[in-house]
Amino acid sequence: MPKRNNFLVYFLIFLFLSLVVFTASKIGLLKPVDSLAKGILSPFQSLTYGVYSKITDFGSDSKLQVLRAQNTELTQKLINQNKLADDNKALRDQFQIENPKSTNLVEAQVIGAPGFLPGISAPETLVLDRGENDGIKVGQAVIYEDNLVGKVVKTSAFLSNVMLVTNVASSLTVKTLSTQALGVAKGQGGGGIIMDDVVLSDTLQKQDTVLTKGDVVDTNGIGVPPDLIVGEVTSISKFPSDLFQKASVNSKLDFGKLSKVFVIVNN
Amino acid sequence: MKFLAVLLLSIALILEASITTIPFVLLILLVFMAASRANWLFILAFVFGILLDLMGFKTLGISSTFFIIVLFLILLYQSKFEIATGVFILAVSFLSSFGYLFLLGYHQNLFLQAALSSIIGLIMFKLVLRVNIKG
Repeated sequence: MPKRNNFLVYFLIFLFLSLVVFTASKIGLLKPVDSLAKGILSPFQSLTYGVYSKITDFGSDSKLQVLRAQNTELTQKLINQNKLADDNKALRDQFQIENPKSTNLVEAQVIGAPGFLPGISAPETLVLDRGENDGIKVGQAVIYEDNLVGKVVKTSAFLSNVMLVTNVASSLTVKTLSTQALGVAKGQGGGGIIMDDVVLSDTLQKQDTVLTKGDVVDTNGIGVPPDLIVGEVTSISKFPSDLFQKASVNSKLDFGKLSKVFVIVNN
Repeated sequence: MKFLAVLLLSIALILEASITTIPFVLLILLVFMAASRANWLFILAFVFGILLDLMGFKTLGISSTFFIIVLFLILLYQSKFEIATGVFILAVSFLSSFGYLFLLGYHQNLFLQAALSSIIGLIMFKLVLRVNIKG
């Protein structure tokens, strides 16, 4: 029979300390310490994620990667072509076209992407090596080659946390490229996205590209700009008895293998 | 024993902050508590909980509070159950992982994650016991 010890004292002391830290953190008293400590600890995170990325890249098919890159490039060309066609039509109709404002992007390295099983299950969030000191703010969109990665949800002085577009808490208005069907892209977790709330009168097509419709974007770049690629429609669920139809959307990005992304800080 | 615990917790901390949501820090703490019943584990639970919150963008203190309560419950049950057994570790790992992942909002495949965590906990417990006996 093992000897009993006075663990109650230890429990009470450290529970009290934890609760003090928790309360101070909730109020915001620990923000400077929090930011400083995150800055000190981030190189370890960065190193681990870098090593992990190298290991997972080692076994990946290079041909598949080339095809993926080509696919992304072709989709972008198709979007640009559609935009040009729209512009021409608008010019013909003598509408004034406002030039798109230049976009400021901040390059950021991914230093953490926690997923349940590394390399198998998709991550839900990303940790970036850029923070408030680099102009990063909560609500800004994060992209990679015109593909939407997610939104910044938390920031510290040196780091920021991004909620991926596939996260269950993620929701944004979208449209399809060829049919202009409107809907809401909801993250399903585990790498899945559903385009929901599409009225039955709109047309959804398989392999159609899903783009952001655009939220309110202020001068700090807060919000999601229009025409960023969310993914591609892979299957459609439409029943006449339902009010809305929905589609499964697959992002063109492999979020688990992203090492560099861009944050839109000014629009 | 202390050195091994700190070493494993440091590795677990980095892994949990960078690439996985499996609660390795929690599992190591409860495995060492069941094997050694040492009070210094409360200090490690506090320190590594804070570090984990810092690196994982969580509210500071949330992990350490949870870890400390779990360790306390393990010690509280030592008079009712034999805590240094595989069955106890399996059950505690499952329940605590489930609670911890739920608390942090990892609701995707929650049962599967908790089940896998309990198996990892059991394997770690067997390894720690072996090292402990040899040491």
